[in-house]
Parts: sequence; C-alpha cells; structure tokens
Amino acid sequence: MLTPAELVWLLAAVAKGDEAAFERLYAATRAKLFGVVLRILRRQDLAEEVIQETYVKIWNSAGQFNPGLSSPITWMASIARNRAIDVVRKRGEVSIEEEPTAMEVAADSPEPLARREMTEELKRLLECVGRLEPDRQKLVLLAYYNGWSREQLAAKFETPVNTVKTWLRRSMMDIRECLGL
Amino acid sequence: MMAYSEDHIALAAEYALGTLDADERAQAESLMSVDKDFTALVEAWQFRLGVLNQMVGSVEPRPEVWDRIKAAVGVSEPQGPLLLPEAPPPPSPVAPEAVAPAMPADAINVIRLSKQARRWRTIATFTTAIAAALVGLIAVGAYQPDLLPDAIRPKPRTQVVEVKTPQTPAPPSAQYVAVLQKDGGSPAFILTVDAATRNFTVRRVGAQPEPGKSYELWIVSDKLQRPRSLGVIGGNEFTTRPVLSAYDPEVVNQATYAVTVEPQGGSPTGVATGPIVFTGKLVETVPPAAPPASNGR
Repeated sequence: MLTPAELVWLLAAVAKGDEAAFERLYAATRAKLFGVVLRILRRQDLAEEVIQETYVKIWNSAGQFNPGLSSPITWMASIARNRAIDVVRKRGEVSIEEEPTAMEVAADSPEPLARREMTEELKRLLECVGRLEPDRQKLVLLAYYNGWSREQLAAKFETPVNTVKTWLRRSMMDIRECLGL
Repeated sequence: MMAYSEDHIALAAEYALGTLDADERAQAESLMSVDKDFTALVEAWQFRLGVLNQMVGSVEPRPEVWDRIKAAVGVSEPQGPLLLPEAPPPPSPVAPEAVAPAMPADAINVIRLSKQARRWRTIATFTTAIAAALVGLIAVGAYQPDLLPDAIRPKPRTQVVEVKTPQTPAPPSAQYVAVLQKDGGSPAFILTVDAATRNFTVRRVGAQPEPGKSYELWIVSDKLQRPRSLGVIGGNEFTTRPVLSAYDPEVVNQATYAVTVEPQGGSPTGVATGPIVFTGKLVETVPPAAPPASNGR
C-alpha cells in the first residue's frame, strides 16, 4: 500500500485523466477495496461488479476528493462500501437461515492489526466503540463490517427489530458524543 | 451542524453505518443531493467510521476486473504487460463458497483490540508513518492548494462523446454506441459496447427512475427466444457489466436494446413486467483499429 500522500497525488493525476496514475491507484488499492465489499456481498461476482463500478466512479469523480476532509483510501472505500450496501439492500433481504455460513464467518477468522499499523483515528474510534455495552459494540461492528441490515442484526441478537433500531441509534449518538462530533 | 435535529444526525450516522433499508437510503441520498450540509454530516460519519476498514484484510480481485474497468472508462492503451510492480499475483478464481472462510477482521477481535487501544494511549509518542504523512498532506493542502489540482473544479468527462469522434486515437477494438430514447426524444441512456470484450457501459444522461422503481435493460433479438435481462441500470451515472459476452457478437450488434420500468431491484421473474420506456440500436462508431502502434494513449 502506498502512503496517503502518494495516493493523494495519484488521485490528483487521475482527476486530470492520467491513465497510468489510474492503473497505479488501482494496483495499490484494489485488494483492500475488494476485501471490504466481498465481506459485505459474500459473492465474488457481485463484489467484482461493485469494484468495477467503484473504480469507474473514482475515475470520474477523483477531482471531488478533498484531502482536507478524508484520507484517500477512506474516501475510496466509502464509495465501494456504499455501493455494496446499496446492492445488498436492493437485492432484498436474504433471510438469515439462507446464510448459515455467513453467520459462522462473522465469529471466526480474526485478523489482528499490528498496533503500529493502526492510525490514531482508528484507536480513538475503537476506544469510543469500546465504551458501549458489549452487545452494542458487537452490533455496531457487525453492521459496519458485514453490512447487515437491522433485520439480520435482530435475528442474530434474537431481539425485535425495533429494539435493534433503538440500540443502533443510541450507540451512534454515544459514539458521536465520545468522539466530540 | 447544530441546526440538525437528532433524527437527521441519526439518519446520517446510520447511512454511514449501513443499517438503513433501501427506502431510507434513498431518502438520505435525496437529502444529500439538495443539502450540502447534510452531505457534510454524512461524510463526516463516513470518514470517522471508515478507519474501521483498516482492520479488513485485503483480497485480490481477479485480473479480469481490471480489464473491465479499463474498458468501462475508455482507457485506450493496448493490451500488454501491466506495470504493477507491487502487486502480488492474484489468486486463481475461487468459488463464492470458498471465499467466505478466508474473510478477515472479526468483530470480537476488534473489541479486544479496543481495550488494548486504551492502554496504548498512554504511550507518550506514537506516530505512525501514515499519521505523519497525513500531516504533510494537510500542510500541502493549506500552503500549496494549487498542487492539488481539480479538487475544487472537477471537470466532466465525456468519453462517450470522444468515442464518437473519428479523429480520436483509435482504441484496439471497435466501439458501438446506442442512444436509448423515447420516440426520438432526448437521450435517456447512452449504451456503449466494446466489440472485443463485449463489456457494455450504460451512461445515464436524462433518465430518473421514479421512487421505488428501477430501470432494467433488455436485449431483444429475433435470434433469442425472448428478451433477456442485462440487469438494472441507472442507479448510478455509469453502469458497467460484462454480461454481453454470453451472446454471439452478431446478436449483440444487431439487437434492439430496450429499457423497462420495473419494481425496485428489477423484474422479480426475469421477464419484463413494466412498460418499455426507451429503446435504441447499436451503431459502430470506431472501426477496429490497425494493430495498436504509436497511439497507445
């Protein structure tokens, strides 16, 4: 992975239509973005389609990236993740019984991050998430990483959807306060 | 941001988190399209939460994905060895079932790490290379804004139009374009097909689906028993898909392309249920080039 500064330069070059820069940008970021969307979509074909749309969008709107607001990889991952969430929501909810393996996966396969690789921003956010009640920590992280809907979360936590809704809202407000947003 | 109700703030937060349903997402998106401050609110959440992706492991997509992206954006260089020195060779294609167990970043583990994170805060100086680079970057933005070109004036790209210009450096394969419109009215979608890869890209130019409805693209040919779906289009400005590769080139070139209005997400049955609103046929705009030589870019 290139440094954020290098990615910013590449995005600036892509905004001018530099195809070589676009190729370098793709090479440097594709695996991360594919990892993010594959985790949400859980289907290679859908994930590939979303990645394709994501990079077309990056090519067309690189000029809108504002380095004062976000890191390049976060900006790019947001495009990819939003698209993936749109796809899973519009496909209609897959009932939880149809995806037993997805549930198993969520509880396994850890990938601890070496602390030197964690940014201050990540540590700060995790600290705020860590202040939530254990169930709600899990709720928020499952929602983010797996792209689960409220219905899927309700099934996982064996709780009415409305309760999940309340928990999610309160959790986000707690995180907001903790981050000082 | 003080002006926003807690409902708005929660909507922005849940949009970024991803837990809204399709209708609520559409609602948030339409709010974003008219309200810059709400957009900023959503983006602030996306950037705050986005750091969580640092925990997600990387997975290499198949090489074909890049070919499709290149075709979709109209990158015109000839096929050849790619200059990707830092990229490890991608894994061979895997079945979706095989993909799942390899997936990274467990939620439980994150929580455990979050407790460690608290301890790490006490470490006096802990500056990652990434954080340092970020500082440098903000400095560049503050003192040398002209070094960050186009950040404020994004220029529109019109590669579809370029494709139509015969003087454009010729890509290595023929390009076909169909303007999908209603009774000669203004164009609603522009469909481009790359003859070599048979990837197609649909650009939305004038069509807005009604709330709760989707546009679906169909290929109609007397060589096919019935119209076949090419998927839902128009959700984004550009939609790119490889699905035409399943069809004979002659069918692709001579077919009529039709857009129907379907329930959100597309026809549930695989058969068009709504009215045909736009149609068009492909015309060849760029003939197959001579072997690519000096005009790679």
